Amino acid sequence: MDMLVTQLAGFWDALLALVADPLTYIYLISSVFLGIIFGALPGLTATLAVTILTGFFGNKIPLDYALIALLGAYVGAIYGGSYPSILLNIPGTAASAATAMDGYPLARAGRGGEALGLTTTASFIGTLIGTLALLVFVWLLLLISKNIASPEKALLALFGILLSGTLMSEDLVIKGWIAGLIGLAMAMVGLDPLLSEPRYTFGWSYLLSGFQVVPVLMGAFAVPQIIDGLRHMEVGEVLKLQGRILPNLGTIRRYLPTITRSGVIGTGVGALPGVGEDVAGWVSYGVGKSVSPDGAQFGKGSLDGLLSSETANNACIGGALIPLLVLGIPGSPPAAALMGAFKINNVIPGPTIDPAIILRVAAIMVLASLTMFILGLFTARVFIRILRIPQTVFLPVVMVLTTIGSFSVGGGINDLYLMLGVGFVAYLMNLMKYPMAPLVIGVILGGLFDETFRRSLLISNGDLLVFATRPGAAILLSLNVALILSQFPFIQRGFARLKGKFT
Amino acid sequence: MAQSADKSVMRARDFWGALGLMALSVFFLWRTSQIPLFGGNRAGVSGADWYNSAAIVPLGIFAGLFVLSCVLLTISIRAGGAAGALSAAGIGWDHREGLRIATLALILFFYIAGLVPRVDFIISGGLLITCLIFGYHRGLTGRMLIATAAMGVAGAYALMMHPDRAGWRAHDDDILALVLWIGLTFWSTARARGDRIMRVIPLIAVITPLVLVTAMAFGFRQNVPNRGGLIFAQIEYHYYVTLRPLWRD
Repeated sequence: MDMLVTQLAGFWDALLALVADPLTYIYLISSVFLGIIFGALPGLTATLAVTILTGFFGNKIPLDYALIALLGAYVGAIYGGSYPSILLNIPGTAASAATAMDGYPLARAGRGGEALGLTTTASFIGTLIGTLALLVFVWLLLLISKNIASPEKALLALFGILLSGTLMSEDLVIKGWIAGLIGLAMAMVGLDPLLSEPRYTFGWSYLLSGFQVVPVLMGAFAVPQIIDGLRHMEVGEVLKLQGRILPNLGTIRRYLPTITRSGVIGTGVGALPGVGEDVAGWVSYGVGKSVSPDGAQFGKGSLDGLLSSETANNACIGGALIPLLVLGIPGSPPAAALMGAFKINNVIPGPTIDPAIILRVAAIMVLASLTMFILGLFTARVFIRILRIPQTVFLPVVMVLTTIGSFSVGGGINDLYLMLGVGFVAYLMNLMKYPMAPLVIGVILGGLFDETFRRSLLISNGDLLVFATRPGAAILLSLNVALILSQFPFIQRGFARLKGKFT
Repeated sequence: MAQSADKSVMRARDFWGALGLMALSVFFLWRTSQIPLFGGNRAGVSGADWYNSAAIVPLGIFAGLFVLSCVLLTISIRAGGAAGALSAAGIGWDHREGLRIATLALILFFYIAGLVPRVDFIISGGLLITCLIFGYHRGLTGRMLIATAAMGVAGAYALMMHPDRAGWRAHDDDILALVLWIGLTFWSTARARGDRIMRVIPLIAVITPLVLVTAMAFGFRQNVPNRGGLIFAQIEYHYYVTLRPLWRD
């Protein structure tokens, strides 16, 4: 109890310090605004927003302000995706795909204003639920994580990559795993972490320090998006916004159980390593459809359906930050970009992180969600105008932004060559439906996996049982094995037969 | 029906993808074999044991990649991917889409490899924006080719005339890129015919790189590409010699 009170006091102090600093507002308002624009423009994503801003703010301003800018853009972009979902029937980000199912029919029925107002409120409450979970669970997990040693860290990193590969694959699960392995392989380039043995540098001295995170992120997320989006496309008809945006308190109260349930689901999904806001939105939508009395109306313009997905995708942000801050394993692709920002600031997320940073992150999340709420309710019409800008106009601007952002992080022109190379490979992989999130998570966690795996073997004199004899490691090993086995067709058939027997 | 056709195309692509991955993993397994695994001796110093070798994790990764690519190949062959893999229709080849991707890849290559290190960032950024909007906004093949030619000429000239770092400060490539940018701008504006997007290209193409490069260099005080570029060198000179003394003194 004492600990909880201390944490709350620490959070309150962090919040007051941020509120008292005038620069906070400049970074907060501009980044949330920019984030909403990124989210609202179909073709730009939340990951791209955080990645590009990492290039700009990652190591150029004090970490506190960099975090405000990046978290503000993250919160804003996830929310901003709802605008084109509701008014154009095109999800602005993958996270808002489920939102379009009910948002667009509502807008067609002349309830666009009501839908946007409720979406804004639900996103705000969802972000707060995620932040509350971050504030509470991060401390519990930090206490547990003090007992985590190299074997558990290695298995956890592997679990993150495998889980991300399994859940983020659009086509075959094996493609997600291959993407994860390619990411891990990319992380092997450079001097190895224990013996400083050069690996796969091909005589290029730049590669001795390994693949840098920011150019890889820009290459994996920005370049394919630019190549894919630069095509002739008529901007769809933006539906006229009807009705007032400011939500009715009675309606919010009526939908509070849905919002709370979806917030909890979103946070839970976000806390899974490597699983993003889109999965959170769909899982919550699916649960909502089966438990809501309004379930039959889902997909035909149900407010319950709309709020199920929109609350969950914003709540996912807080959830995604839990494994990032406690274990150094990003909970979602934008969190992977955030990890890149931590890394270039020499902050290593994980059990040894400065607790003050966690409190500041929670305080920033609260302020960012409040800013998003206010901007969403009072400047919605500005964002609606932005929906009319074609991709062929803003994507070239994004390319120039990406170039200068990637160049200035530190590696200069070599970073740009790396970004372009990764970008072309990532585009080819996109064409063959390989997910990018496991690749990026592989690149980020590869160093950790390599170091902790070999350290485990070193302290056990090469005894592989070290991964099974410690209780925590045994649980994680079982999870990894179960995850792999669950994809074997004969096991899936066995489960299907068992399920058939019991139903 | 369309879904099953998409699936066949995907399996045919997976066939080639799996073969490529197999080749890649075999190549890197061979490269990994050059890293000492069983306590190799280097310059008289004994290396680590196998379990601490720098090769152990990469070996596992590339072996895993090889196994998974074999599984992918099997899935692809079982689904009929091998049969479709040898025809253009089988892998879903679309000539127009292929041209679009190829021209874009060339534009991005010449921009990053040729122009960014050698040509003023405002000029190269402006030319890129003009080429991309002009070439791809309407989706016309002719425009894509013109845009690629403009970027290709500027990029290839810079690459060939100044391959080494010592020559990157020269301005002849800046001037050529500037001429091509102005020419393409006039061409696109002349053909705008009521197209608002075409008319705003020059504005976007000038403002975006100018604001970005000055904000980065003087606001964030960061390194920017080609500081000695034709336009940026003038801006930097006047910032430090003409403007800055106004508030420093």
